[in-house]
Amino acid sequence: MPDPLIARLKNLIVETLRLDDIRPEDIPDDEPLFGSTRFGLDSVDALELVVRLEKEFGIRISSSETSREALSSVARLAAFIRESGHPA
Amino acid sequence: MSPIADLRPAGIQACGCLTPLGDAVSTLSALLDGARALRPVPVLGSGGGDAVPLALMDSQEMGESLPPRWLPALRRLLAGVPGERWGSPRFPVVVTSSNFGVGSLYAYLGSRDPAHLRHGAPFACVEMLQREFGWGEHVHTFSHACVSAHVGLLHASRLLQSGLAERVLVFTFDFVSPFVAGGFHSLKILNSGMPAPYEARAEGSIGLGDGAAFAVLTRDPAPLRIEAQALHNEMRHFTGNQPDGSGFSVCAEAIAAAGGGRRLWVKGHGTGTLEAGRLEAEAFARALPDAPLVSWKGSLGHTLGSCGLVELALAIEALGADRSPGTVGSRGPCFTGTVALAPFPTRAYEGVVIASNAFGGAHAALLLCHA
Repeated sequence: MPDPLIARLKNLIVETLRLDDIRPEDIPDDEPLFGSTRFGLDSVDALELVVRLEKEFGIRISSSETSREALSSVARLAAFIRESGHPA
Repeated sequence: MSPIADLRPAGIQACGCLTPLGDAVSTLSALLDGARALRPVPVLGSGGGDAVPLALMDSQEMGESLPPRWLPALRRLLAGVPGERWGSPRFPVVVTSSNFGVGSLYAYLGSRDPAHLRHGAPFACVEMLQREFGWGEHVHTFSHACVSAHVGLLHASRLLQSGLAERVLVFTFDFVSPFVAGGFHSLKILNSGMPAPYEARAEGSIGLGDGAAFAVLTRDPAPLRIEAQALHNEMRHFTGNQPDGSGFSVCAEAIAAAGGGRRLWVKGHGTGTLEAGRLEAEAFARALPDAPLVSWKGSLGHTLGSCGLVELALAIEALGADRSPGTVGSRGPCFTGTVALAPFPTRAYEGVVIASNAFGGAHAALLLCHA
């Protein structure tokens, strides 16, 4: 059964970054989101996404290193949110 | 890529700066003592938020007052500029900043007080300075993120060498505002940690600081001169650098070549970010393997577009005192063995490189030597 948090994150990524030509289900769980040519996302996109994630889940991302690590893939992001104490 | 540094020497008739630790003399003394101007301050000032390292002048508050809080500080600084018909055709003024009065635009959004708009946009801000300091109409304005002051110094040197000016007043200022601090905080590079430039640790952090400085550049002989300047832009990414450090190397190698084998020390950019700090330290270790590398932003914070000229003024004081501060705030281990953590005498060296980097992949370096 698909992880509901991962599905929620994929929808949130597409919506926040306005990825009009990408469907949430097209985003793999374990591939890098940023720095890959497949999605064309950069650090400004990461900034937008971090702001949205902090509001949506009430989490704090303390540094750019933590941000980079947490956003390394959707699966890692889901794990980070759970490790931060969010009940998702 | 191997560009040649711009070899248009310019004498330095006068130079000074103002930081939260005082004028150049006081600031140098405090840095030699290892003092830190940075303090934990709510990132949005009276608006609250996380406490982040900021170095603020005077009141230690960064609210947007009317008149702007930077104006009294600029009056103090510019009182030390040698008298001249500044702003006349042969004595132009070059103003640089990365922020000008941008914080007041943010304040306007909150208060709707139109008085904030009088100095918010760059040209409105410069016109205010023109009126305040009685400058003529020959005022040139530059802004290129955190290499702004370097761009202004290079422009001034070119004016002198082309015979268009006798002397040029280069003036720079950047004061922290909630708008600017909030922006860096959103990028997660301004966080609760104090900066430790070039230190190899798990998380990086910068500090931000108020700073202003001036230099009077001249065609006449002067005891100190800027011998060479290099500018380069990677044109790769808004906030990132070439991962192999090649962008840093372009400027480092160009200015090292201009040094012609002389013994140099390097006042680096060193904000406290990990990746850029490592790339910078490695680039200078390759280009100038015997040159000690220091950063003073662990104490003063990053004075953004003004850092090149603020730190040039401090380097000049260091040469006069025969003592450079070390990398305040860092304890090591560092990315390279060239990083100097403790103060050292400067007389063993024949010149100093002042280097800065900026968003957008911009790199700058200049070579300061005794004439």
